[in-house]
Amino acid sequence: MKKSKVLLGIILGIVVAVGLYFVNEYWIAPATTSAAKSSGEFPQAPDFALTSLSGNKINLQDYKGKVVLLDFWATWCGPCRIEIPGFVELQRKYGNQGFAIIGVSMDDGPQPVRQFYDTFHMNYPVVMGSDKLGELYGGILGLPTSFLVGRDGRIYAKHVGLTDVSVFESEIKELLSAPPGHKVSDFKSVGYTASQDIQTSTPEEVNSVVPGVDLSKLSPAEVKEFENVLAKGKCTCGCGFTVLKCRQVDSSCQVSLEQARTAYTKYLKAHHG
Amino acid sequence: MRLLTVSLLLLLPAGAACAEGPPSVVSARILLATHAVHPGTTVRIAVVAHIDSGYHINDHKPSLDYLIPTNVVFEDSSSLKVEKVSYPRGKLTKFVFLDSPISVYEGEIRLGAALKVSPSLKTGAYPLRGKLTYQACNDHACLPPTSVPLEGLVHVATSPALLHPADSAVSKEKQF
Repeated sequence: MKKSKVLLGIILGIVVAVGLYFVNEYWIAPATTSAAKSSGEFPQAPDFALTSLSGNKINLQDYKGKVVLLDFWATWCGPCRIEIPGFVELQRKYGNQGFAIIGVSMDDGPQPVRQFYDTFHMNYPVVMGSDKLGELYGGILGLPTSFLVGRDGRIYAKHVGLTDVSVFESEIKELLSAPPGHKVSDFKSVGYTASQDIQTSTPEEVNSVVPGVDLSKLSPAEVKEFENVLAKGKCTCGCGFTVLKCRQVDSSCQVSLEQARTAYTKYLKAHHG
Repeated sequence: MRLLTVSLLLLLPAGAACAEGPPSVVSARILLATHAVHPGTTVRIAVVAHIDSGYHINDHKPSLDYLIPTNVVFEDSSSLKVEKVSYPRGKLTKFVFLDSPISVYEGEIRLGAALKVSPSLKTGAYPLRGKLTYQACNDHACLPPTSVPLEGLVHVATSPALLHPADSAVSKEKQF
């Protein structure tokens, strides 16, 4: 009798644990996402100026007031290719309502992109991207990665991987409904979005000798001195490099970034008060 | 006559925490058919690559012309030369982002090759370096093309040692 009560207790415990797991996975997690979004902390889309395949200057600033879909893709990427016809259709359908797509190809060269552009009758500009541009947008590790920028220039959604066109369409319609320049404070993403993870960088951080750390407040001599500080510190991510070397070979390493930023704050306090 | 022997290559899988480029989903090492070889001979080696679960890399001969093939290249060396790299056939797999199946590698794959050892090889340690280049995807996203290094050290000894099998699977495989 006592044994069966213990067994029943164990079974109940397992049921509760499994239940809590699913509640956390499918209920608590989305709620956290909504909270992050409703806080209005959508970052400004980093500006860039590049030349499109057809030779036109593409400056993101010129798109202010429009809803922009920024699509990082490549011709060798199957999931990217299958999204393109849907984007062509979205451009055709909403192009006259203040919507625009900019394709950012991460191919090594423009030749296959031009061929693809013609074959798929792409009706929006495509620029050749770079790692630096990707870093401005938080680092593009997987393709496709798409960002939806609102009329106020903020990034409202980031989709990594193959995403159904209906997801984009719903979000585009929602963003288009906002008056130009207005923040969509109650933006609701459709399907999976990594909005809460959107991280952007400034050009000063991307172009820094210590990638990810804006050293513009330091004099050239201080920059050298700070580099030496990081060159003496061991990165704790397991790479075996110094903090400086780790930042330089892998700008996506969060461990060395944290170490470098902590060291910078300390250095700034010691030298600039 | 003094025979030189070359010890087994123990090759390091790649993938340090901070590595240049995208995250590595493939690790690779080289296996030698015997633990040692004599100068002037040719032995079989295998490159064993492990592809992380959920990912695939393209066949050496991809099904579609825009896909980036998997390749193995070795650095030229006057003492050790790798020839005739043979690739396995990929597995025809259907993905949601394509209309028809494509040939890909998943899980563990073994590539075969012949290692020619120079007759003039002397006592010492000889590096064998190469890389496996690939482009990986899962069923909804792709990683940029990248490579995983193949590195090893060949130790040369001056003894008429018997050649012990180091990896029987490598020597048994006539055709990879």
